Amino acid sequence: MKAETHKVARLHAMLWGIFSLGGMIAAFLLPVLIYMTAIAYPYSLWPFNGARDPSFLVTGHLLGALFIFVTIAGSLYHGIFRFQSALTEVGLLKYRRALEAVGYFIIFVGIIALAYYLVTWYLNGTIT
Amino acid sequence: MEDNKRYPELRRRLSPGWWTANRHYTMYMVREWTSLFVALYSLIFIYGLSLWAMGSRADFLSFLKNPAIVGFSLIALVFTMYHAATWFYLLGAIAPVKIGRSRTKPWQALVLNLILLVIISYLAIWLLVLR
Repeated sequence: MKAETHKVARLHAMLWGIFSLGGMIAAFLLPVLIYMTAIAYPYSLWPFNGARDPSFLVTGHLLGALFIFVTIAGSLYHGIFRFQSALTEVGLLKYRRALEAVGYFIIFVGIIALAYYLVTWYLNGTIT
Repeated sequence: MEDNKRYPELRRRLSPGWWTANRHYTMYMVREWTSLFVALYSLIFIYGLSLWAMGSRADFLSFLKNPAIVGFSLIALVFTMYHAATWFYLLGAIAPVKIGRSRTKPWQALVLNLILLVIISYLAIWLLVLR
């Protein structure tokens, strides 16, 4: 019983640790990514007022792909985790297990799909 | 006796609208709900990449120029900046740094981290696009 409790507590600490890391990533890296894809590119502003476009950000070099993976995966985890937690505070506490299941499913599918696209592009030479 | 019977969980029952009771609770809930935009933007970006993977690079680029996506992303940027500012303030409140006999204030952490955000953003653009 005690070992089981410790295991659950360790898992919770780990999940909250990833959540905090995701919070830092969403705070420091997500704004610049949104600026580049939603303002700079559609309106041809710096740094996309020249020849390059956001596809260069993803496949221009490995560091860019890594930036995309860390920023999107971290923000997705943080966003979903926090939102499902907020839902339990507005009267949906009795559905906590279901909300967690749906939340982790979305996070899992999203991160696997993201990793799949980036790894495929790396392996077939699209990411240079 | 099982642990959960010896130490029953004491949870105060709250009504679904408890967060409208005062301004602090409302701001707390607004802060929590900004995470929805963070998550949705991430999912939309992954969807954009899937268009590229299953179609062409042009599909991804035209998706980014779609007015609905641009509009949503602009709202997401506002909420992401709000998330960033409240996160930085929270960092200063949770982990103040002791300097001599005084401790740093949350607003100092906010200002310092906002400056850091500008530097990191410029470095990211320089490293990933301009170089």
